[in-house]
Order: sequence, then structure tokens, then C-alpha cells
Amino acid sequence: MHNEVASFIDSKVSGANATVNNPENGDSSVSVDASKILEVCQALKNGEHEYNVLQVISAVDYVDYLELVYILASFSKNTELLLKVKLDRGNDNNLPSLESVTSVWSAANWQEREAYDMMGIRFNNHPDHRRILTPDDWEGYPLRKDYIVQEKYHDMVVNPEAKVNTADHMFMKKLKETYPDPKKVSGSWKSDDGDAAESEA
Amino acid sequence: MSAEIEIHHLSSTRPQEESLTLGKWFRNIWTGLSTALKGMMITGKYIYGVKPVTIEYPEVREQLPANSRSRLFNDAENCISCYQCATACPVDCIYITATRRDSDAEKIKTKDGTPIRLDLHQYTIDTALCCYCGLCTTVCPTECLTHTTDYEFAQYTLGGFKYDYLAPDIREWRTRLVKD
Amino acid sequence: MFEFVNEASEPIKSDLMTVNMGPQHPATHGVLRVEIQTDSEVVARATPHIGYLHRCMEKHCEHLDYRGVIPFTDRLDYLAAMNMEWTYVLAVEKMLKTEVPIRAEYVRVIIGELQRIASHLMFFGTYAIDLGAFTPFLYAFQDRENILRIFEEVSGARLLYNYIWVGGVWNDLTDDHLVRIENFLETFEESIKKYHKLVGENQIFISRTAHVGVISKDQVYDYGLTGPVLRGSGIDWDLRKNRPYSIYDKFEFDVIKGEGLKGQLGDCWDRYYVRMMEMHESIKIIRQALAGIEAGPVMGKVPKIIKPAKGEVYMRTECPRGELGIHLVSDGTKVPYRLKVKSSCFTHVSALGEMAPGMLIADLVASIGSIDIVLGEVDR
Repeated sequence: MHNEVASFIDSKVSGANATVNNPENGDSSVSVDASKILEVCQALKNGEHEYNVLQVISAVDYVDYLELVYILASFSKNTELLLKVKLDRGNDNNLPSLESVTSVWSAANWQEREAYDMMGIRFNNHPDHRRILTPDDWEGYPLRKDYIVQEKYHDMVVNPEAKVNTADHMFMKKLKETYPDPKKVSGSWKSDDGDAAESEA
Repeated sequence: MSAEIEIHHLSSTRPQEESLTLGKWFRNIWTGLSTALKGMMITGKYIYGVKPVTIEYPEVREQLPANSRSRLFNDAENCISCYQCATACPVDCIYITATRRDSDAEKIKTKDGTPIRLDLHQYTIDTALCCYCGLCTTVCPTECLTHTTDYEFAQYTLGGFKYDYLAPDIREWRTRLVKD
Repeated sequence: MFEFVNEASEPIKSDLMTVNMGPQHPATHGVLRVEIQTDSEVVARATPHIGYLHRCMEKHCEHLDYRGVIPFTDRLDYLAAMNMEWTYVLAVEKMLKTEVPIRAEYVRVIIGELQRIASHLMFFGTYAIDLGAFTPFLYAFQDRENILRIFEEVSGARLLYNYIWVGGVWNDLTDDHLVRIENFLETFEESIKKYHKLVGENQIFISRTAHVGVISKDQVYDYGLTGPVLRGSGIDWDLRKNRPYSIYDKFEFDVIKGEGLKGQLGDCWDRYYVRMMEMHESIKIIRQALAGIEAGPVMGKVPKIIKPAKGEVYMRTECPRGELGIHLVSDGTKVPYRLKVKSSCFTHVSALGEMAPGMLIADLVASIGSIDIVLGEVDR
């Protein structure tokens, strides 16, 4: 089925470079060029495959690049399609961007806002381009793999020492200092000096 | 402001009332009264026909089902310090530290016969973080870590939720909870 | 918009006023804030603001093993936790290609449909409260309590179960439970009819809900709405029927859709009606499952450490509030690489901005109640 969709996309949108991914495990998908996403979506919605519902836009951070997965469904043909586009990671001043598909499905409005909020992907011509789940003044994009938790937010300390049970975490380290044979001490918690949890299972 | 358009929208969603005739006026009263009376009859049956289902809590205390997942209890004497509970815990609220026993020390066993090779020094669970998911009790090989059915354990401070299962006052629960 | 006619017969228009409804408002079913611009009683524009219950669930899941995620999926839609964890578990099983024992499938269906009844009862109770009736809420909770009691005995918890596990279910339903479920359905079937008569046919309720919050078929597809909202607009679509997962292809039941009986097609009353009638269908399914349940194990063979091969799956199931989708990406390690939740409530709230203009404020309350959102699922 995916081969048909790919050839359909190629016949309708020139330059979309639709390729079918058939992994050994899991669902297969169709990749297209990010610059043509709007045309591809329009073709898929109005064409013979009738993908009339946008289920979700899922953004995945593969460290080298970002990937947007548009999961489309056809309620008339009872089919599903994972449509993928690859994007560069960009940086804070130059976020990766592509065309918004809100004009095709209104459902894309909030899904794209979430992708922007969580992954830092900019959507051009989006009617309401704001953060959605985090506050407007949040820094960084939390679902990126290199996201670093803010130390302070509005003068509030994030993860204050009193609330993270430091004494319990450091119990093993202290015991190692006082116990006659430190090698015999083991613990469940990874303490700050890099001891891994030992398992005797 | 596009308010005029919105008003137009309103008239389309809520159809305007047709002109009221005398017959319609009476019919409205009749449907309103009759459906309300029908409902009153249903609720009326509950006054005498249905027994109260609530219990008066402080006087009557409910016994939770046997496999309810409430406060955790670790029977420290049967714990072999395998750390499986701490590894399985999704919120990382179990803190264990143990030391290996000397090879010439007295051999001790749990009640199901598993040899204990480590001495527990710390077995603390921060119950305030616990999500009562039950993953730690299912992986426990000696079944020393169990969910009890105690549900009244409110505390005045957050620190009070930290249970040190090696402390004598918590070990005393054993007589009540563990049946040998 | 009030129009006063002055001597020069020019209409005077009143200004729009911005009002915040929520985040703490009894009728928003949680911490939803709707910024509404009103002209007296008429809503000119409504902008929902979400995120007050955001708990970084998707980020957390990237640091937990596959079993540890299940308690977190419970906390998405905490009123239908069984269905939430079922969806996630199905996604993992699809990735692992695990076989589930047949008894476990039956237990899952029974539990899942009971949860659907419990969730719809919650809707019934809270919706009546939204519209000013208190008694139905107590009746709904009385019946819901019976279901929760069975859940508590089987899974050990009343709300957040961690019951459906990869490869099967945690605990088996005993014969005693099956009999009790059967007896409960017997009395409950009569109760729903009574409840429907009490609330659904009451003239005040009809006046508050008929012709209110109409969602057309085009809007449903445009916004990707699912579940009772979709069926309330007269669309014949149910994943249990159209794309059967688990063993739903073995059961006979009807897909209930709105017919516009009291007002327009797709109004609040239709959505209420779909949910009430769906409880009857759930009873049908549970009865068939109780009749067909086979003896056997409830846990299949699953490796001790779950490590699916590299790949990704998208799994969607029919939950009480709509379709829940789980997009799960694995990189071959013991933690999920990415877990994206397609929440039905999220899409439903996004359509609120389109539904609201032109409504009265009281109708907005009725509309929010009728799309039956749980903010835990919206914000994740």
C-alpha cells in the first residue's frame, strides 16, 4: 500500500522525493521532502487516498536530525499512514522550519504548537504560533535529547536540595568512608561519585 | 471586531423561538411538568427503597481487600538486598545500602531458605514519592516487601513519610502484619 | 450584542469584555482556562489555554523501562486508566510481536468495557452537575463504586491500576468476580434506563443541551475529533468495529450514533445520548465475554527485560473519551526512545475555539461538559 502512496505523491508533487521505509520491526512509513510538505498533505487529503483526518504530529529527536511524523488516517478507506519529514536540528537562533499544514487540517494547529513547544520546530504561516504546554517564557525545548533543566525559574530554585532526599542518596558514600572494607559496600542508588547499582539477581 | 458575524452564528446554532400560541404555551407547561414529575418519581423511590451505601467513616472503618496496594512494608529480616525493588521503582523512592557479609560469619537464611549474603544498613522508602504501582512487590524474590492494607497514615510533615524499615518502631509492625 | 437606538437612529454597540473561565472553575473539569470575550451573555471568541497539569509524562517515559511506563500511562486519563494502559501495552506487544493468552484477552475486554461504563457514568454524573442537577451525580457514583470495588479486589487499586501488563494481565478474575460482574450488569441495565429517563428526557435538560454546541461532520474530520463526539455527529465509526484490536472481532454490538432526536445532529444532547447508549453496548460485550471466557493462564511468555528491536509503531484504540494513539519509537535499548501520546481530549479542546462563538456563556459550560475532557490527558 505504501508503494502506491509514494508513487501517488511523486506523480502529484514534483520534488517531493517520496521514499518508502520498510523496517524489519514495526510500522512502515513514507518519507517526503520537508519543503514540499504542504503540497503533499493537500494531495493526500484531496486525492484518491482520502486521508481526511490528521491524527497527530509526532516529533522525534534522533540527535543528528529531527524527524516529524505526520500520522494520517482515512476514515472512508480505513487506512493509516506515517508520513515523515527530516529536519536539521538548527540552533536556538535558527530553529528548523517548515510550512504549516493548518490550512489543510485544523487539527494541525495545536499539534504544530506542541511540536514547536516541545521540540523547537518553527512552522511558517501558522495562525497562532505560541507555546502551548509550557509557559510562554520557558527556555529551551524539553523533549530534545540535549535539553538541560533550568536552574532557576522566576527566582524559584528547580529541584531544591531539601526536596531531593540528598541524605538518603549519600548514605552509601558516607558508609564507604566509615566502613572498614569499602569494597563490600553496595547500594541501590547511583551516588554522585558514579557508583552503578549492583544487582545480584 | 467581527461581532456581527458572531451574532449571525448564534442565531444559526440556537434556532429562534417560534411565535408562541396559547396551545403551545400549555403544551410547554405540560411537557415541563410531566418530565419533572417522572424524574421526581424515580428519585422518590430512593427515599425508602434504597439503603444508604455510605459508611460513617471515623466510627465505621472499611477493611480493604486483601491485595489492596497501600502502605509498603519491608520485613527486613527476610530481605536479601537484591536491589530489584529499587531498580523496578519508576519514581526511584527506595534507597538501599548493604555490605557483604564476611565469609566466616554465621550463615543466616530467610524464612523460605534463601541465604542472606548481605547485611542491610539502609532500607528507606520515601512514601511521599511512592506511586503505589506495585512493581517493587512483584519483583521481590523473597516476598519480604509487601503492600499492606493500612490506609490511615497521614503525617504532619513531609519528612514523616520517610520510612526507615530498620528503625525499631517500624519493625514493630511486623507482629501485626507478617504471619509466619 | 445589544443595540440601542438613539434619536439619530444610529445603533450603539457595547464593548467586548474579556473574562477568564478557569483555571479553577467547577465547570471546566480540571485546570482548563478558557479566555472568553463576551458581549453581555454572548461569547464572541473563546481561546482555551492548557498546560496547567503538564507533568512531562513523555519526557519521563524516556528514562523508564517499558514496564515502568505503565503506571505513568494510568495517569493520563485517570478516569479510564485501564484503557490507557491497554493502549500502551498493545503498542509494546505490537513491537515485541508477543502472543497474549486467550483468557487474558477476555479479561482485558471485560475490564476495559467495565472501565468504559465507569467513565461514562462519571460523565453522566458530572454533566448533570454542570447543568445544575445534583442527584444524578450520586446515583452515578453509587453504581461506579460497584465497578471500582471489583477493580480494587482484582488489581489492588481503585483508580490507577497498573493491571494490564505486557503479555497479559497481572491478576486473574476469579469465578466469584465473574458472577458479581454478571449480577451487577443485571441491576445496572435497569438503572441506565432509569437514569436516562431522569436526565435525558427531562425538559430542562433538553432545553439546555439540544441545539447547543453543534459540531458538523466536516468539523469533526477537520479537527480530527474521535469517540463519542465523532459518533454524536452521526458518523458511523468505531475502532472496535472498523479496525478491531484484541478480540473485539468476536463480539456483536452496534455502533451508536447521534440522530438529532431532540435537536440538531451533533449537538450536546446527541453526545450525551451516544454515551448513555454506549453503556448498553458495553453491557452486551461484557455478557458475551463472560459467556465465552476460557480457562487458562493470564500471562504469556515475556522476556524479563523488555527490549524491543529497533523500529516504531503507532497503535490506536477506542477509549471512552475517543481514540488514544501511542506512537512508540524504540532504539533497541530497554527504555523507550520516544513515546508520543495522541490524546483525544487534546483535539477536543482544540475544537472548542471553533464551537464557542455565538454561544451563551451557560451554553459554553454545557459544551465543555459534553466533550467530556480530562485534563490529565490533555496536558499529559
